[in-house]
Amino acid sequence: MILKIRVDDLLRTTLATPSRDLVTRTTGAAIRLRIERAIADAPCPTTLLDFQEVGVLDFSCADEVVAKLLLLIEDEHYVVLHGVDETQAEAIDHVLSHQDLAIAIVPRAGGRQVLGRSTPDLLAAFEAVHAFGSGSPDRLADRLGWSVERTADALQTLALRRLILAANGTFSPLPLQ
Amino acid sequence: MRVVTIPRYFDEKGLDTVAGELQPWPPEDKLLFDAHATRWASPYGFTAMLTAGQALRDRGAELPRLRVPDDQAVSSYWAKAGFFHHAAEYFELHGKVPRRAPVGSSDVLLPVTPIRQSEDVHQVVGGIQQSAERILTSELHLKAPDSMRFSMSLSEACQNVVEHAGGPGWVAVHAYNWRERLKRRVVVIAVCDSGVGFRASLEPTQARHHGDRWGDKAALEDALFHSVSRFPQPGRGQGLAAIKRFVLQHKGRLSIRSGTARLAHLPDWDNGPPLQDGLPFFPGAQLQIVIPSTEALPP
Repeated sequence: MILKIRVDDLLRTTLATPSRDLVTRTTGAAIRLRIERAIADAPCPTTLLDFQEVGVLDFSCADEVVAKLLLLIEDEHYVVLHGVDETQAEAIDHVLSHQDLAIAIVPRAGGRQVLGRSTPDLLAAFEAVHAFGSGSPDRLADRLGWSVERTADALQTLALRRLILAANGTFSPLPLQ
Repeated sequence: MRVVTIPRYFDEKGLDTVAGELQPWPPEDKLLFDAHATRWASPYGFTAMLTAGQALRDRGAELPRLRVPDDQAVSSYWAKAGFFHHAAEYFELHGKVPRRAPVGSSDVLLPVTPIRQSEDVHQVVGGIQQSAERILTSELHLKAPDSMRFSMSLSEACQNVVEHAGGPGWVAVHAYNWRERLKRRVVVIAVCDSGVGFRASLEPTQARHHGDRWGDKAALEDALFHSVSRFPQPGRGQGLAAIKRFVLQHKGRLSIRSGTARLAHLPDWDNGPPLQDGLPFFPGAQLQIVIPSTEALPP
């Protein structure tokens, strides 16, 4: 089950003067609090934040909404961003990299992407899990042409960063839609 | 009454002259800001003048006088820029003050706008996107994502007032031709506040690291070069870094004056000093961003 939250709806109902822009720390903190409450109230392990109708996202707000949310939510909860545009992705990538955090997104232009702290191995393993589906390190190692140790290391790191799901030695993609 | 002469061309350099005439700060005499011979003011000049008025009021000074420019074309432009609308609150205006003309000119992308709280930043960002999109893309030749980055930088610059200044500030954005200096059209953002300044903002956490070197210059270097913030959280201090990146990407110019120092990121086309220390004191902080068009003006 996925909890879907339209960030533009939160903006509309949080600000005194409606705006499409996610700017300022004050606004970011208010929006994050509403997301935290929605997550606490819903029995879903994954939350999808929809940025499709959001305009400007500045660095301060990216820090308040995305980075702080990742730091505050429980370890078993997953967050995916949807409909993120090029400049929003830049802001999110910057603030997450600065704090050793990462998140999976579906860009507005389509596809999938990891923003924040990552390595070429992590990005390749993330792509493999999403392209080939769930599997053990053995299976994905074959697909990637890597050793099992290298594959397992990358998959475990992705799981620790909440970029993929892990259960009983099987690694699965996050529901990105 | 002490007369403070507003320079003929009131921009960043002009502020240093005005600040010099305001010493010792805060001035005890009643002041007359004399702009009768002023021919032009940049967004920096407008916002800095309002900052002076605000700072004097905050310190309980007698309401200063401001003689408006004699040249009607100049004073009309000042009205169009939204300056007199706000100046009337901080100065006793003398001379012929034109009624505020509706902003329809392509020069004034954002008239002088007060920044007091988070909502004001939303208004600024929303307003600039409505009014400036065409200028930024068709005259400055910025691509659509760069136009968004411009708004992000503007937002971060304004937020510094709300987050750090501890007092109100002003923002203005104009576009004009730097035909002689650069042969390009430029867009200029100025954000000035009369708050505590960088030194006082960072002093509780940074002064001990610098010892005797601590001052306005060290505080500006910490903020601009090392992304230091008065807040301890790791996500803080990134706003100025983001502005700096945007400015560098566009071969623009970023300068910040606070107290007695000014620090600047200078592009190839500017051979001014990157660091000035020992300037006459001026309250708060004053930031200016200049983004040039990617294409030269026709001859």
